[in-house]
Amino acid sequence: MNKSLSALRMTAYASVVAAVGQTAFAGEINVIMEEVPDYDIVAKLTEEFTAANPDITVNFDAMPFDAMRDKILTSSLAPSASYDVIIIDNPWTEEFANAGYLEPLDDYIAATEGYDYEDFVPSLAAISSVGGSIYGVPYYNYALGLIVRQDIFDEKGLEIPTTIQDYMSTVASLTTDDFYGAAMQPQKGYKVMEEWKNWLYANGGELFDENGNVIINNPAAVTALEQYIETFNAAAPPNSANWGFDEALRAVSSGKAATMLSYNWMLPALNAEGGMAGDLAGNFTLHEVPGGKAVLGLWSWGITANSENKDDAWKFVSWISSPEVAKRRVSMGGAPVRTSVLNDPEVWEQGFGEAYYKALAGILEDAAPLSTGGNAEELIEIVGTELSAAVNGQKGVQEALDDAARGVERANR
Amino acid sequence: MQLKYKFILPLALLLSAVMLYPLAFSGWLAFHEYRLTRLDDVHFVGFENFVLIATDPSFLNAMGNTLIFVLGAVSLELVIGLSLALLLQKLNILRNFSRSILLAPMFVTPIAVGLMFRFLLNAELGVIPHYLSKIGITVDWFGPDLALFSLILIDVWQWTPFMLLMFLAGLEALPKTPYEAARVDGAGPWLTFSRITLPMLRSVIVVALIIRALDAFKVFEYVFAITRGGPGNSTETIMYYIYQTGFRFFRMGEAAAAAIMLITVILVLVVLLVKFSQAEEARK
Repeated sequence: MNKSLSALRMTAYASVVAAVGQTAFAGEINVIMEEVPDYDIVAKLTEEFTAANPDITVNFDAMPFDAMRDKILTSSLAPSASYDVIIIDNPWTEEFANAGYLEPLDDYIAATEGYDYEDFVPSLAAISSVGGSIYGVPYYNYALGLIVRQDIFDEKGLEIPTTIQDYMSTVASLTTDDFYGAAMQPQKGYKVMEEWKNWLYANGGELFDENGNVIINNPAAVTALEQYIETFNAAAPPNSANWGFDEALRAVSSGKAATMLSYNWMLPALNAEGGMAGDLAGNFTLHEVPGGKAVLGLWSWGITANSENKDDAWKFVSWISSPEVAKRRVSMGGAPVRTSVLNDPEVWEQGFGEAYYKALAGILEDAAPLSTGGNAEELIEIVGTELSAAVNGQKGVQEALDDAARGVERANR
Repeated sequence: MQLKYKFILPLALLLSAVMLYPLAFSGWLAFHEYRLTRLDDVHFVGFENFVLIATDPSFLNAMGNTLIFVLGAVSLELVIGLSLALLLQKLNILRNFSRSILLAPMFVTPIAVGLMFRFLLNAELGVIPHYLSKIGITVDWFGPDLALFSLILIDVWQWTPFMLLMFLAGLEALPKTPYEAARVDGAGPWLTFSRITLPMLRSVIVVALIIRALDAFKVFEYVFAITRGGPGNSTETIMYYIYQTGFRFFRMGEAAAAAIMLITVILVLVVLLVKFSQAEEARK
């Protein structure tokens, strides 16, 4: 045990030392990114930025999601930053802003001509606004939508469900011995919370009321969880209580399930010719989640407070998120965050077609982030653990939600 | 300074830097509110972190899971390792080859073992559920009932070879005369094993148990790679709990308090085990 405890500390120190060792030099900015398709597009576009700004070198450090949070932390704790530009997952925004890791961008935004900050979709831009200051500008959204096998719905003459009740009966009616109405993602933690919260919204629930009291165990939440479990038992594949994103996607793309609640940008990937769905490509459509209000995810660009190259960093961030480059990024397959881009017929044509962007605009109109506040990451884990326990029958619905409420209060004490 | 102290000075300095200082610092952390995202608000809180941890149902659950894991994994490894060692001791053909093959799992890094089994046992993709379903058996290896047991089995797969190695070395070092005497007296295999082999092997067994148990308490990789503590919190182990608290929620003070409580539990168990073994020794 002594060994592992010292290992914990040593890892922290080693990371800080490594971070200091990587500090960027003048004219050089280091950018931490998550390895996702949107990153490849950004990296490609950035070649143009460096060609136009030969005095600025942009170094990307792309990595899996799991590695990002502590890398950002160690960089921010070091005397000078190893990352000048970071991408911020929405649950981290307030936590990092409160900790003083992020540079307020208000003055930069005001001083940048033609940036058109108001053009960002309001529900997305709102996430990065903490205590009256702007700490990030939207990079890409991962709002949830309902993805369905349109061919099956057409063949059976089914309407796209718009309420949770419709959704429950539709997916139950589609389920047979070897085909399932819904590929669900009840995996402990983030995934189950992300999926279930759409059900919570559909029932008018929330994590906190307007006075900040925890209401995650109120009757709306109980109904939402009961409906979620009922749907899981009636329409999801057997032994899928641990499924996350990958497994659900695989079930839908291999033709084993008719619907899934998932990231809107999965639609183009499913419909891509010669892609993961094989012969089924072209049969998938995207709709608003049943109930209408969707869980919103957002990555935004931020500049670290301890960066020594803030001006160059903003030059890059404002360039990559500018209306003109944002349009090209989305045309190349990126996830949109600007209203002008969502409504641009040229983007529809070069991108994934009018229907996708219209559906997405509808989703973004009424959507809210998974969790907010300084402890969002922790709250998601606490609630997500209790939800998983209820789905697996280890706890009753009310008991699990009561425990979740207690955990949330405890974490926020 | 006397010459003898000068000789140990470099090592003492090295150990203070890499062992003593981190340990003392975690002791200090455990009594402070210390959040990495709120370093401007670090203050002494006395035993508050310990009280918080001890009254946290997740901590108690993680401690319970860890004890089940250690007990299950180590006892299975003991039985299987000892049986294999007894068999291999008699095996003369392909001696080195069979031993190297059996020791192989030990040399794979645990995180890779975790990832490997995650896919081998995956209900959708896994080769094991695939063949089991051909003979009509469906098992949800990572479902709420079996997940912890599956992790125990993975640990057994990886670490039984360690027990085997210890016991083979122990068996080969045993004197031959007692066995010859037993044969002359007409003792059967079971009597020989229970009255001669086992007692003479006792110290090796105790050492092997302690080493394996200490290691099993640290189980983290399988949990991280496969279940992340789920379903619910049925596979959350103490190391995973400490990792979450410290490195995901950045509550270093509470994480240090949890770590110190774990050290205490381990120390008590080790002392009990050693005392028990000494008492047995004295009884003879």
